[in-house]
Amino acid sequence: MIADHIMFTGVNVLLAWSVYVILLSGSVSFANGAFMAIGGYGAGVLTTKFGLPLVAGIPIAALGTAAFGMIIGLPALRTRGIYLILVTTGIAFCVKNAIEAIPYVGGVRGMRGLVGAEPWHVWVVAGVVGLLLWLLSRTPLQRILDAVREDELVARSLGINTVYVKVIAFGTGAALAAVAGGLYAHYMYVINPEHFGILVSVYVVLYVILGGVNNLWGPPLGAAVMTLLPELIRGLQAWRPIVFGVVIVILLLVRPEGLLPFRSPTARAKEARRG
Amino acid sequence: MLAEQIVNGLVLGSMYALIALGYTLVFGVLDKLNFAHGDIFMFGGFVGVSVLALGAPLWAGAVAAFVACGVLGLLVELVSFRKFRSHDAQVTAALSSLACSIILIDATQKVWGTEPVALTLATAIRTASITVEGLRVAWVNIGILALTLLLMAALYVLIVRTRMGRNIRAVADSAVAAELLGIDVTRVTQQTFFLASGLAGLAGVMLAVRTGFVTTELGLTFGIKALAVMAIGGMGDLRGAVVGGLLAGLVEAMATQLGLGKFGDMAVWLLMILVLLVRPAGLFGGLRKETRA
Repeated sequence: MIADHIMFTGVNVLLAWSVYVILLSGSVSFANGAFMAIGGYGAGVLTTKFGLPLVAGIPIAALGTAAFGMIIGLPALRTRGIYLILVTTGIAFCVKNAIEAIPYVGGVRGMRGLVGAEPWHVWVVAGVVGLLLWLLSRTPLQRILDAVREDELVARSLGINTVYVKVIAFGTGAALAAVAGGLYAHYMYVINPEHFGILVSVYVVLYVILGGVNNLWGPPLGAAVMTLLPELIRGLQAWRPIVFGVVIVILLLVRPEGLLPFRSPTARAKEARRG
Repeated sequence: MLAEQIVNGLVLGSMYALIALGYTLVFGVLDKLNFAHGDIFMFGGFVGVSVLALGAPLWAGAVAAFVACGVLGLLVELVSFRKFRSHDAQVTAALSSLACSIILIDATQKVWGTEPVALTLATAIRTASITVEGLRVAWVNIGILALTLLLMAALYVLIVRTRMGRNIRAVADSAVAAELLGIDVTRVTQQTFFLASGLAGLAGVMLAVRTGFVTTELGLTFGIKALAVMAIGGMGDLRGAVVGGLLAGLVEAMATQLGLGKFGDMAVWLLMILVLLVRPAGLFGGLRKETRA
């Protein structure tokens, strides 16, 4: 049981960061559950049908998912705000239904025989991703992303190729979600399309919003709290969904900016303050 | 049976349209998505079935569902939308309303259980049909089509001819300007939520009468498709919701006719993605605030 919690918290932290990366460029993605599914199924096919080891299967699946994400991202990212939310929600539904219709991966019944992922693997990956994101926040790339997110028109006038930035961010987020999906699948032994429904995508966005979107540490905190919270209210077993829902509503009302609302200053801003 | 499928598609589509009208009304006024709307529709079905189980006539069940869902809509507005007025809070409001639907689904399961609940209406009423030119049409289907048409006409008159409708249109156009002109935006928002949720409740009763049972999954399987329908028609556009609904119903019926099974569920979403990519404002929407920005 404890191992389960450690595993799922890690997976959700990765997923939260996958949404955060896309959000950095100003896009909201409700399709990350679908990317997780593609990663999980892709890695699963590679390990069970082609006999590849997990360390090879997950990166290949992640690259494939990134390519898929960028191909659909190119037209999809032309839309913004609520329209993008709807398009990505549509993608999530389509991917789930498509997987259910493919007998090769087991259709509705799902796919079995996926083994090899341990909880500590996820946390190693999460650590690396966190380190990379932290390094990113100290590079000019972060400021480019900030510019694209805050005002696309200004960013374009500064010579930034906003389409390129947004598509790359979308692809990176898709790849991260795919890694999380691959690890999740190979921990679960059996996966089916129900594991990657629309609610998964929505919950991940929820983690990020609840944790705080302004800095790197909000999303994982939100993910950890929301994954472990249902366990804390275990005594109220029968009332779990209601309590869970009420907690979300109250948290959003009390802390609309997230649990960690501060904006991490960029390296240059810090220097300016010192000087 | 092509003709039969077309009738099916139209009936299905008119119910989609009724739910989509609710999504689009709220979106028009607030520029926000109400993710709880699909489950308010589901709840309407349960209220209708319970009232009918007491032996009440059909119209009483419909009225009860309309009022109960309307009140529920007011509650959702208070909890999930009142505080999140700014444009930046779109995602927050959407997620908060989603939390409401989690609560609503669980509460419904607490009261009625997790199993589908059957309708206690005499089967004779549900299966009675009429044959026109060799085409058998159930009275239920005719009733649903007629009632949705009536409701749409009534909604049109309400929006275009009454003071309340004028206020709703004013707030939809610009909440700031409406407020400056002395319109109570909060009250208009409440009226919109009551109306939108009530219509969803009626759609819930219709679906219950047509299929003969209700389940708590309906919000996620049936209700949320109306979200795609709204986007197809053009967000915030009433004509769009109606045309989009009928279109989606027909497409789905055709997918069933052609034996595409799973594709039927996907068709509406694919259609929505295509429409949004080609015409982000939907089939009917002119250039609204957001697409212009």
